[in-house]
Amino acid sequence: MRMDWEELQEKSFYRSSARERAYGIVDPGTFREFLGPRDKMYSPHLVILGEAVEFDDGIVVGVGKIDKHPVFVISQEGNFVGGALGEINGAKMAYMYKIALKCYEAMKEKYGTVPEDRKPLVVVSYDSGGVRLHESNAGLVAHSECMEALWKLQNKVPNISITGSSLGAYGAQGFVCMSGDVVLANDYGRIGLTGPDVIQQEVGKDEFDASDRALIWRTMGARSKYILGDVDYLLKDTIKEFREKVKELADMSMSDISKHRHLGSPELVEDNLELVKIAAELKIDDSKDLWEYYGNENLDELPEMPQEEFLKVAKRRPRRGM
Amino acid sequence: MALTELNFEFTPKEPKELNDEWGHVGIVSSGDLEILIEKGNAYKGKASFHILTTVVGFDNVWETVLGRLVDKTGLSGVKVSINDNAATPAVVKRRLQQAIENGGGLQ
Repeated sequence: MRMDWEELQEKSFYRSSARERAYGIVDPGTFREFLGPRDKMYSPHLVILGEAVEFDDGIVVGVGKIDKHPVFVISQEGNFVGGALGEINGAKMAYMYKIALKCYEAMKEKYGTVPEDRKPLVVVSYDSGGVRLHESNAGLVAHSECMEALWKLQNKVPNISITGSSLGAYGAQGFVCMSGDVVLANDYGRIGLTGPDVIQQEVGKDEFDASDRALIWRTMGARSKYILGDVDYLLKDTIKEFREKVKELADMSMSDISKHRHLGSPELVEDNLELVKIAAELKIDDSKDLWEYYGNENLDELPEMPQEEFLKVAKRRPRRGM
Repeated sequence: MALTELNFEFTPKEPKELNDEWGHVGIVSSGDLEILIEKGNAYKGKASFHILTTVVGFDNVWETVLGRLVDKTGLSGVKVSINDNAATPAVVKRRLQQAIENGGGLQ
């Protein structure tokens, strides 16, 4: 199987397949896939239901290197069953976190401490609608396994979330994405719990109009998330940009990386509740009101302007310790 | 209703071997398919196809499309595994060409 690393670097992250993202995010020629297509480990449930299967079950996992760091890569493929977590691909995902922790512990046992320039890290490229409904319980179990593993990685192994593919990170994967230490996105990144159509279906069109794409993007899109602090870095849409940012983060100390965290401590819960309080008190009914609250102008132009300009003018929610 | 399983074997007139060990292309999204080509000593001089598809009743079309391409290219010495989600014959043909390319082309 051939994969041209040089070509991948300039390729749009948004338009790349899960495998291309996985190969391109680490140093040239270093990526080794676990349970790849040749292992033919696909979902037995989909076969019974008469649904199409894929040899990698819609996820590419493996290990590569960035400088001296072992990088454990998880890359989801949104074009296959909505990138959703099932029994096989969910287990692949959860076990990558576990292997990363094992790697960390083995290094610690052997060398006493894990040197900063060799610390392992996890990079996850999200492209998923959540849990695969065809195998719902198995998918949910995988999701909770991921959450448990993530908890154990905290303050040991940096966990970098990337959203920048067609589906974003929704449903159960929205959780997992936000639980990462650092969240990276391009302009196509999206993070949410419930998707637009489901909100409209459940609460009504007055609450959320799923046909209004501008509304969807300014509510769940990367730029709004960047202003509100849920996305830490907004990047240009090439694999190279993402690789370079991951490389930069890899060289940061663990404590500096942990400062980016969005969840997982009483202080952060307080911060998030503060945001809820503001939204309730100001009767916010559109993200634009929040952007204005944090000092932004030209609210209608913010989602439209070129990214460079946006990064210059956008004013963000101040975050503790950053 | 379970997936349809199809198996074909073709023997091209002028057999050519794949350059690399294996080639892989495609994502099983709607109207698309995934093709995995693997070299194997057991398939000397022939191309063996194993297809899992969601569509029923197109066995002849599969046989014609794959048979013609094997004859034209000389693809042999390989096992080809296909996961299909209702791809059209044109897509099947193009993906198979891409898969051969991804496996380093034919000798």
